Amino acid sequence: MAYSEKVIDHYANPRNVGSMDKTDPTVGTGMVGAPECGDVMKLQVKVNPATGIIEDAKFKTFGCGSAIASSSLATEWLRGKTVDEALAIKNTDIVNELSLPPVKIHCSVLAEDAIKAAISDYKQKAAKA
Amino acid sequence: MRFYEAFGLEPALSLDAEDLKKRFYERSRKWHPDRFSRASAAEQEKALEMTAVLNDAFRTLRDPVARAEYFLKENGFELSKEAPPELLEEVFELNMALEELREGDDSARPQLIEARNRFVAMRDSIDQSLTTTTDLEEVRALLNRRRYIRNLIREVENVLPN
Repeated sequence: MAYSEKVIDHYANPRNVGSMDKTDPTVGTGMVGAPECGDVMKLQVKVNPATGIIEDAKFKTFGCGSAIASSSLATEWLRGKTVDEALAIKNTDIVNELSLPPVKIHCSVLAEDAIKAAISDYKQKAAKA
Repeated sequence: MRFYEAFGLEPALSLDAEDLKKRFYERSRKWHPDRFSRASAAEQEKALEMTAVLNDAFRTLRDPVARAEYFLKENGFELSKEAPPELLEEVFELNMALEELREGDDSARPQLIEARNRFVAMRDSIDQSLTTTTDLEEVRALLNRRRYIRNLIREVENVLPN
């Protein structure tokens, strides 16, 4: 199956790969996994508590090219967005941007789940602080 | 349920392995196609079909995991499509170690061996629980976890030639 150019670009040059201190109260961590295999996606956001703006986003994904591209794109989109704007990102936005074929839609779902999990982790921490 | 009916058994999650084997041999003899060589075409076909069902049924029912999957499915339970969240952290670490090893860093090997042993122990403990659990929701949760762990073990074993 042919990958779109955008998928290949993100796969070959993934943006924002890495990891942040997950004990940092301004960092939210989302970890999600694919059901059938060991594919796993970790996505982190660093939020400015005063403005609610995501100042940094990092990811590390073990999985196929589409899963890597989906999470790479997600971190690009997350930077500079408010937490609420981030929650509005839909997996279909990722599908459209990357021209993912139907069999790879679950990769975009995983990325959306990872965003939601990271934000919810941040919110929980913020509520406690 | 067809596979249980083939042996004249009431559908149940647990069953007596010796009794099952006895029933399989008895019925396989009874329906052996050789005994129908002079029977009508319809009877010959029936013998072939029964033999095939008995083989499939025996293969499924004698294996506790395959049996539980069959039993759940026949009772309308689907295996859910979700990775066990409590394992994700560990799976992430496992993938990091696999990546290091693939990149030629052999120091990750002991960690992988340890991880494989831990996953094998998890699988065995699930198999143990499957023999005693009767609640179908619980059985489903066990089978989901088991399938996920089985795939992990396979991935580790692909890079760890013993």
